[in-house]
Amino acid sequence: MARAEKIKDAKLRSEVEEAYGQLRAGDPSGAVAILADAFGDLLVRHPELLELSTTVRGRAFPLVARWPAFGANLVFDPERAAPPRIEFIRQRFAVSEALTYYEFLVDLAVDQEL
Amino acid sequence: MKFGLFYELQLPKAPGAATWDPDAERRIYHEMLEQVELADKLGFDYVFEVEHHFLEEYSHSSAPELVMAALSQRTRNIRLGHGIVLTPPGYNHPVRVAERLAALDILSGGRVEFGSGESSSDMELGGFGVDRSRKKAMWEEATREVCTMMTQEPYQGFEGEFFSMPARNVVPKPLQKPHPPLWVAASRRETTMVAARLGMASLGFGFETPEELGDRSEEYWRLVREECFPIGHAINPGLAVLSTFMAAETDEEAVRRSANGPGFFAYSLGYYYSPLTGGSHQPGATNIYDRFNALPSEQRDGRGPLVAARLMSRDQIAAEEPDDEVQRALFRAARSGQAIGTTDTIRRNIKAYEDHHLDVLVLVAQCGDRKHEHIMESIERFGTEVLPEFKERHESEHRPWREKQLSGVDLAINSSI
Repeated sequence: MARAEKIKDAKLRSEVEEAYGQLRAGDPSGAVAILADAFGDLLVRHPELLELSTTVRGRAFPLVARWPAFGANLVFDPERAAPPRIEFIRQRFAVSEALTYYEFLVDLAVDQEL
Repeated sequence: MKFGLFYELQLPKAPGAATWDPDAERRIYHEMLEQVELADKLGFDYVFEVEHHFLEEYSHSSAPELVMAALSQRTRNIRLGHGIVLTPPGYNHPVRVAERLAALDILSGGRVEFGSGESSSDMELGGFGVDRSRKKAMWEEATREVCTMMTQEPYQGFEGEFFSMPARNVVPKPLQKPHPPLWVAASRRETTMVAARLGMASLGFGFETPEELGDRSEEYWRLVREECFPIGHAINPGLAVLSTFMAAETDEEAVRRSANGPGFFAYSLGYYYSPLTGGSHQPGATNIYDRFNALPSEQRDGRGPLVAARLMSRDQIAAEEPDDEVQRALFRAARSGQAIGTTDTIRRNIKAYEDHHLDVLVLVAQCGDRKHEHIMESIERFGTEVLPEFKERHESEHRPWREKQLSGVDLAINSSI
């Protein structure tokens, strides 16, 4: 069974599958656009994800900040008054970049049992 | 399970010294040649050598193709692995990568393994002007084209995002067809899964436990079977894991001889890859070994805990591990003693990897201030007392298991595993 099939959130699962279809059809940039939208939406619907942290060199960092920075970057509101948003600094992405975004999002959802 | 040796060509400065002994670099290069020559005679399957630039003390291996050319003339069977070549065009033009791989393949009688990667240290990225945010895309574009250059006659040229060139016949072509087996450096789980989808073996720098390997292995092989769209013209399915290594007469002696090797390996790696320390490194001035030695002993290396517990169990290590995957790899590199001990200890510990279907265990012997004679003895002990039985089971048990994993895969395969 594909790991993405373990995602319980039907909306997210559908978006992730759509993105993967784009990727397999030879459009990694289109896939990243879908994945970035899905991730941004997930953070709005599940704000508890923003509370998760990982420890790097003794300091706690938000787990979601590990979203790859290949050009569809996660930007935090300096005042933390609004959820972080995705800022596109480019529109063109490689297959490996799209796959890395895909793996991150699927892992996050499956690990958090969403 | 097959076995390899892994070389960064580490060279810590002497305590308090501004630079190295004038003979030091010549010495470690020639010691490596001797070590690999011995490993080849004993039946080790692979040697993997990194490409790094400017990472003084951590790695003096900036021209691995030359070292492997020398090895190609001193060895007969051992596979010569780039672990890895930096393929973003800012480091190496893709044509030069293809030409050097092919020439080495010819010189070695078809023994080259083409590992590729990007690196992520500020020293290297800044030194060559490689944009951090685009390095993965650069790696992919260049690696894909290098594979095509080795197969297409003539190469039809390319208009890419990171390099372009007209049609040219890139010669020579490698002996192995369509090209040498493909590997990619993977320090995180997600990269291993990218490797599976692109038809590449994963050279795992995460120092994964056997249990983690088991989880990854199942998904990796499923992806190879069901969702592979290869980057090259033949796939190389496989998983390799690194482990620090020192074999001796007793566990205590192995730990003593292991010295600061694993600790310095992890510390200097973390030093260069951390933006806090790596970005402010003073070329030619900083003595990293002094900084390492200034750490409290419990942070410096794994000897204290290893000695106290004879060898820490996986449970003991797991209880102290950092959350972050890369930090965890550094922790394990410093403290995991799975391949440190007597040959009986090592055999018992690494059997768990075999049980989880690991393809290649890559042993880090040359690191920190370890002594050449201890590394040679370690290779000798392992090669005579441990390796033969694993090699035998590789043929009798693991190879049929791999064939089962690959049943139904109709992609071309070039793999030495």
